[in-house]
Amino acid sequence: MALADFFISLLTFVTIYSLFGLGLNVKFGFTGLIDFGHVAYFMIGAYVTVFVAMPAGLSETYEGLTGLGLATAFAGVPGGDLLGWLVALVIGMAAAALVSVLVGIPTIRLREDYLAITALGIATILNAIFHNERWLFNGAFGIREVHEPLSGAFPIGTGSFQLNLLLFGLPSVAILGYAAYRTAKVVRPLSVRPALLGTGATLALAGSVVFVITTMTGLVVDLGVFVLNVDNTIAFVLLVGSVVAGRAALTETDHIGALLALASALLFTLWYLGQPLVAFVTEGETADLLLNLFWLYDATAGSAGGLDYDRFFFLFTLAFLVGAYLWVERTVNSPYGRVLRAVREDESVPEALGKPTFRYKIQSLMFGSALAGAAGGLWAANIGFIDPTQFASTVTFFAYTAVIIGGTANNRGVILGTAVFWVINSGTRFLDDFFPSEYAQQLAALRLILIGALLIVILYYRPEGMLGEQDYDIDLGRGGVSDD
Amino acid sequence: MTEIQNPILDVQGLEKHFGGITAIGGLDMRVGEGITGLIGPNGAGKTTFFNCVTGALTPDAGRVAFADGDITGKRPSAVAQEGLVRTFQIPRELPEMTVRENLQLAPRGQSGERLAQAWLRGDEFADDERRVREKAAEMAEFLEIDHVLDAKAGTLSGGQRKLLELARVLLTEPDMILLDEPLAGVNPTLEQKILDRIHDLESQGYSFLFIEHDIDVIMETCERVVVMHQGQVLTSGEPADVKSDDRVIEAYLGEEV
Amino acid sequence: MASAGLLDALLQGLITGMIIAAGALGLSLIYSIAEVPNFAHGDMITIGAYLALALNKPGAIPFVPEFGGLPLIAAGILGVAVAGSTGAIYEVAIFRRFRSKGADLITMVIVSLGLALVLRNVVLFLVGSGNINYDTERVTNTNVELYLTGNGLSVQTVQRQAGDLVTLGEWGYGWLSLLAIVALAAAVGIGVYRWRSDDASFETVHLVSPRIFGIASGITALAALATVLQGAPHTIDAAVWSTSVGVSIKYGVIIGLTLVTMLAMNLLLKGTKTGRAMRATADNMALAEIRGVNIDRVQLVVWVLAALLTALAGVLTGWFASNLNPNMGFSLLLPIFAAVIMGGITSPYGAVLASLIIGVSMDVGVFLLPAEFATYRTAIAFVILIGVLLVKPEGLWGDV
Ligand SMILES: Nc1ncnc2c1ncn2[C@@H]1O[C@H](COP(=O)(O)OP(=O)(O)OP(=O)(O)O)[C@@H](O)[C@H]1O
Ligand SMILES: [Mg+2]
Repeated sequence: MALADFFISLLTFVTIYSLFGLGLNVKFGFTGLIDFGHVAYFMIGAYVTVFVAMPAGLSETYEGLTGLGLATAFAGVPGGDLLGWLVALVIGMAAAALVSVLVGIPTIRLREDYLAITALGIATILNAIFHNERWLFNGAFGIREVHEPLSGAFPIGTGSFQLNLLLFGLPSVAILGYAAYRTAKVVRPLSVRPALLGTGATLALAGSVVFVITTMTGLVVDLGVFVLNVDNTIAFVLLVGSVVAGRAALTETDHIGALLALASALLFTLWYLGQPLVAFVTEGETADLLLNLFWLYDATAGSAGGLDYDRFFFLFTLAFLVGAYLWVERTVNSPYGRVLRAVREDESVPEALGKPTFRYKIQSLMFGSALAGAAGGLWAANIGFIDPTQFASTVTFFAYTAVIIGGTANNRGVILGTAVFWVINSGTRFLDDFFPSEYAQQLAALRLILIGALLIVILYYRPEGMLGEQDYDIDLGRGGVSDD
Repeated sequence: MTEIQNPILDVQGLEKHFGGITAIGGLDMRVGEGITGLIGPNGAGKTTFFNCVTGALTPDAGRVAFADGDITGKRPSAVAQEGLVRTFQIPRELPEMTVRENLQLAPRGQSGERLAQAWLRGDEFADDERRVREKAAEMAEFLEIDHVLDAKAGTLSGGQRKLLELARVLLTEPDMILLDEPLAGVNPTLEQKILDRIHDLESQGYSFLFIEHDIDVIMETCERVVVMHQGQVLTSGEPADVKSDDRVIEAYLGEEV
Repeated sequence: MASAGLLDALLQGLITGMIIAAGALGLSLIYSIAEVPNFAHGDMITIGAYLALALNKPGAIPFVPEFGGLPLIAAGILGVAVAGSTGAIYEVAIFRRFRSKGADLITMVIVSLGLALVLRNVVLFLVGSGNINYDTERVTNTNVELYLTGNGLSVQTVQRQAGDLVTLGEWGYGWLSLLAIVALAAAVGIGVYRWRSDDASFETVHLVSPRIFGIASGITALAALATVLQGAPHTIDAAVWSTSVGVSIKYGVIIGLTLVTMLAMNLLLKGTKTGRAMRATADNMALAEIRGVNIDRVQLVVWVLAALLTALAGVLTGWFASNLNPNMGFSLLLPIFAAVIMGGITSPYGAVLASLIIGVSMDVGVFLLPAEFATYRTAIAFVILIGVLLVKPEGLWGDV
């Protein structure tokens, strides 16, 4: 798999989980509700969307309720399967919201810690039901008949190779360029010395990893027996150098965010473009480099290349994320959002001022759950197969971690935090290739140890997360007086 | 004891127990228009009385009527919507929100507080919000907290918190306000300003029930005083009569007055 | 042949409840004194179980030098002790820091969640996700079969040995002696209760409440009388009712160990200076501090005790189920939380009682419900909890 394909699939995951995280942020960040059962609405959204879209009798191994077949119901109209799927998604969101009301009405008045544990319990029970009751949605066997909207239409492209490259390749480069520009803006306040030290530290770190990887390929390493040889020593020295330079850089600047941005951008560039660049320079190999640069363009799709379904689906989910982001922003930047935050700070105050806080909390729960439901519908279409194990409680906990890393009550922070989380959790998966396969589980566990520790460290040193709580501004449209 | 003819707030047989402690024991109170003082020694049950009347606590027995409607056991928000709001004795600022937001939260009936309006933003939305902003700014200026409008409320001083608490309640523009020691910790000039404002508002038709330990303030401000002691009304009437009442002197004011 | 019935489910539930109680006791301490709704509690149970495994079966875990392994008893005791020191680490490295920053309840919830993630994955990292087992003697179950006949009650003890059912013993009670046993045992129980509560003036603090004293003596009397008054068995062909109860030495050990632990906890809380400091801290941390209680020391004790208790629960669970896996603790987390909340957070005794109720309802519920509901065993605990929270959010007993 080319790096670009991995990149696309990682981005799609981040997008879907960001949508999920936005829903959590509505509940947790803006309203202060600890819903440890958030994943239940993700699951319900996924299952209901699939169920409503799924035509009957597609498969003999499916023994659950007969699907409603909405995906084929509008077959007459152009794009009818998309329409049917969208309706299914809306129903999935509504189902998630409805279940959240049923859960919320008895539990939402409870103390915050009681709410957390009851929500966790209810989600666990719901998962057990989906797992055990085959008549419902095929139980543990899951559903394979997942409708993927518009998948028949792809890949798309014009007949001309050049035109396709222009059409899809240009935006790809433009987006990368824009990302570089934004990163540069973040990095700018950094003065020269710490910037150089940071660069050095990052390069040394990368070098050390590269050294370990390249010398270890094909070598059976036994954890616990670390052989001391020249390569290891070089890698170790580089690592120490990296730590020393990194510490120096950190102590010399107040712009820690800028420093981190610089390091991440460097690491990304090295990872994403370094390897193809080496291949290009040493062997004149251009394929990977082009593929990575023109990441929206898939040369192998169709006769003249074009946009394949995976890439389309990423853009599709991105559109949902942008829509949800604007929707949540509109909600919190309003007197309504003000009441939600007041509920978070001290429920008795808005209550004493005449705001029916119970209603606000229920609505917040519904809204957040509906967003989780939308994420679930997209998740199902992306994976193409769902079963209850995909919706374990850990998914909720990951989302909490992501939200807290990025910044609780900050919608951009949610997206940033989700990206950071999944880069740590999945982006480092390519490292697995360099270890014997029997260590895959260990490596996965190691990542989660890292994430758990990161969660605690962030809560201690920077409880407001990377970005901190967002600013609020209620837009009054034309003639709206500024707040000051 | 003077009888109130047209009580706005009418409480009968109110009881509240905490475990073995009787905080309110069969209390009857009628509060009419204007400014009424509520005094009594520490632990007399004044705050608990406020809590029971406004729905923050559910009374164990008794009936609370406000403006001829029964509000017993209603949730605080419902009581506030009826036009009866209270301040908290220990101010409850919303620490992570700015003072401005704390104030803007208060006015009742903002159309933007409804989810549909927050999403769709009809014509009222902007008008309402502009109105709310103006009122909040005006109130901040009056209570002299306008220079900290953009600070997080959690950073305010103790006295400023008291003012914020008072400002929020005034912004709700209710029919009756229950004030739980609003002047404790407020500087004397501002204290006079607040009292003047309370008189102002009274002439505009607001009513107040006013807990205050400073008997001189009560004497100057209130038309009527209710004295609570051990969860019951000891006596009530004109400030001068109450001040010379033997039981009040014994229970509250002490011998030397 | 009698088949297993309600009585068997009751006993099973009692055992489940005892294990939950060991966990719940620790959680209620952490909850009320350290003020942490500890979501890592389940994984602390797992850690305890695996610490004992590392000593019992060192070969199963990488990084642990192979030394042949200790017998389970020694490994269990040592493992629990080591687990106690991990409790100290959690407190000193994590929770003390957050407490000194004045972290709120939500933060504590999420910190404990982070800890849970770390602990579970440490186990996964070191041992892997497979099922594993302590290296110890197999314990065979004995079935006690009860037959109610026209002449009275007849008892048979049966054991499966090398595939065959072997009857170990057989005896019976006539109606009269049955009646006498029950009446005498009840009389002893009530008598002891009266005697213990006699001197109850307002100030006496009972180390062991008279009620528990009464119940314990009643049960002891019942067992003693039942042994002494054994008679000849009746013919069981004409039995009107029969039931079989599986028992094993494991049951006795688990009940005995948890009871002793609870008694020790009780003595500690009520009879020692540290215990009084702990209770004062639970009441009001700020006030306790003003009165000169060393809060950091109290919290350290709490975390160590809780870790000891969770480890005990872990070892017992692993031994009882003959199975350890990284999820074992987490699956106990919900019933434990249910028990603690149901018992009233500030009451360790309420937590123990609620644990028994929950354990019994889980196993009896599974017995009474149709077979396909067996997978919802944990859900039963939960339904009870939600019911309790809706009716009495402050827990069943409030502050005992
Ligand atoms: N939530 C509670 N739980 C237990 N007891 C309470 C509670 N609230 C109040 N009390 C008790 O009820 C009694 C009345 O308290 P309250 O706060 O109403 O007094 P107060 O008249 O407002 O006193 P102060 O002038 O000091 O404010 C006191 O004995 C107090 O200890
Ligand atoms: Mg008071």
